[in-house]
Amino acid sequence: MKLLLKKELCFTAAPLSYFFLAFSVMGFIPNYPILVGAFFTCLGIFKTFQAAREGNDVLYTVLLPVKKRDVVRARYLFVALVQMAAFVLCAVVAALRMTVMSGGIYAVNTLMNANLFYLGWVLLIFADFQVVFCGGFWKDAYRVGVPFLLFGITAFVMIGLAETMHHLPGLAALNTPWGMPGVQIGFLAGSAAVYGLSTVLSCRRAEAHFETIDLNL
Amino acid sequence: MKMEKILEIRELCKSYPGFELKDVSFCLEEGSIMGFVGRNGAGKSTTLRAILNFVHPDSGEVRLFGKLFSQAEDEIRQKIGFASSGVDYYPRKTLKQILENTRSFYPNWDAARCRELMERFGLAETKRFMDLSEGMKVKFHLVLALSHGARLLILDEPTSGLDPVSREELVVIFRQLAGQGVSILFSTHITSDLEKCADRVTYIQKGQILASEKREDFLRHFAAQGSTLEEIMVNLEVNREVQI
Repeated sequence: MKLLLKKELCFTAAPLSYFFLAFSVMGFIPNYPILVGAFFTCLGIFKTFQAAREGNDVLYTVLLPVKKRDVVRARYLFVALVQMAAFVLCAVVAALRMTVMSGGIYAVNTLMNANLFYLGWVLLIFADFQVVFCGGFWKDAYRVGVPFLLFGITAFVMIGLAETMHHLPGLAALNTPWGMPGVQIGFLAGSAAVYGLSTVLSCRRAEAHFETIDLNL
Repeated sequence: MKMEKILEIRELCKSYPGFELKDVSFCLEEGSIMGFVGRNGAGKSTTLRAILNFVHPDSGEVRLFGKLFSQAEDEIRQKIGFASSGVDYYPRKTLKQILENTRSFYPNWDAARCRELMERFGLAETKRFMDLSEGMKVKFHLVLALSHGARLLILDEPTSGLDPVSREELVVIFRQLAGQGVSILFSTHITSDLEKCADRVTYIQKGQILASEKREDFLRHFAAQGSTLEEIMVNLEVNREVQI
């Protein structure tokens, strides 16, 4: 597994998967739908799936002396590692905006502010990617277009909901650095649980499915 | 002396819309070269894919080194090499990058053998895969397959796209490898290559094995169809209803 993960990170990964991590600092852009940064992280990961497909990566990898299910697991680990790197960057941005940068140009924002509630939504977007895109891809280990389109649609519905939710009566405090702290912490913890479960369950399902599909040369 | 069976296929069946692999059975012994012959669409690639566990048969079983894939997947893959024409791995990567990544998975990777083969085939490590001609790509696949000490080589049309000199070179390499106990199963349309190196010939027609026997026995068996493998193949396919 260690070798396969190294292969995913250093050999298979498209450079864009790493460059697109920079979109995590979009959280500094005032009056911008910052949750789109999470979508861009996933778009970067998608480029790895696309490049790997063009390079016959699945065929090359299953010919190596490895277990077939580990091929799937290594890719999921790669996805999760990139997402966690993006999440750490988002968390740093959120921490700065919740403390030393909470005033000034960030004081008034009709869209979402970078806070714990935002970080929870970042994890939910990533969970959506795991379930809809990764799960869809491993159905035949070939198609990337339709799964990514479905992910794009669901992700933008989620982004729209998240960016405007605080306009609902009684939820305005969700868009402040420390408002409704119990709700914000609970939401982040719940999102982390959903992310973890989605990753594990989607991976297990993809592993089982990958064992049964016929691979074309 | 009884030779060890490296590959055993028993009553393999697989149905696709418009095509069926029916009760495919044959075996390959240690140090033996088997030519797998048949027309396009006869079921050669499907059979090879089933051997490699890429295709899941509806029934029947494939044993490699006496084991099923489900029993020892990674152990079996350690001992097999696969090369195919028409499969491009990572077109934008250099051969060096691909070699370095591949060797990390094989503890018994023979770097000296790899270098020797790269030189022998005229492959430069700095070239990108996409810059290779079709023939050179096949050669590179062979370098990958031969450098990790595989005991069984499964080759899908390995000599397609190669010039006569390279094909002759490969035939010599196949014979050398067989002498070292490596078993080779290769599908091909170029029957003249088989005349030079195959110990056994397995003929598949419309998803069914017509014969799997020693080359001399095969030629004797189908003597009425012609005196060479090519003549036999042409006549067998022209007279499809032939009864064995």
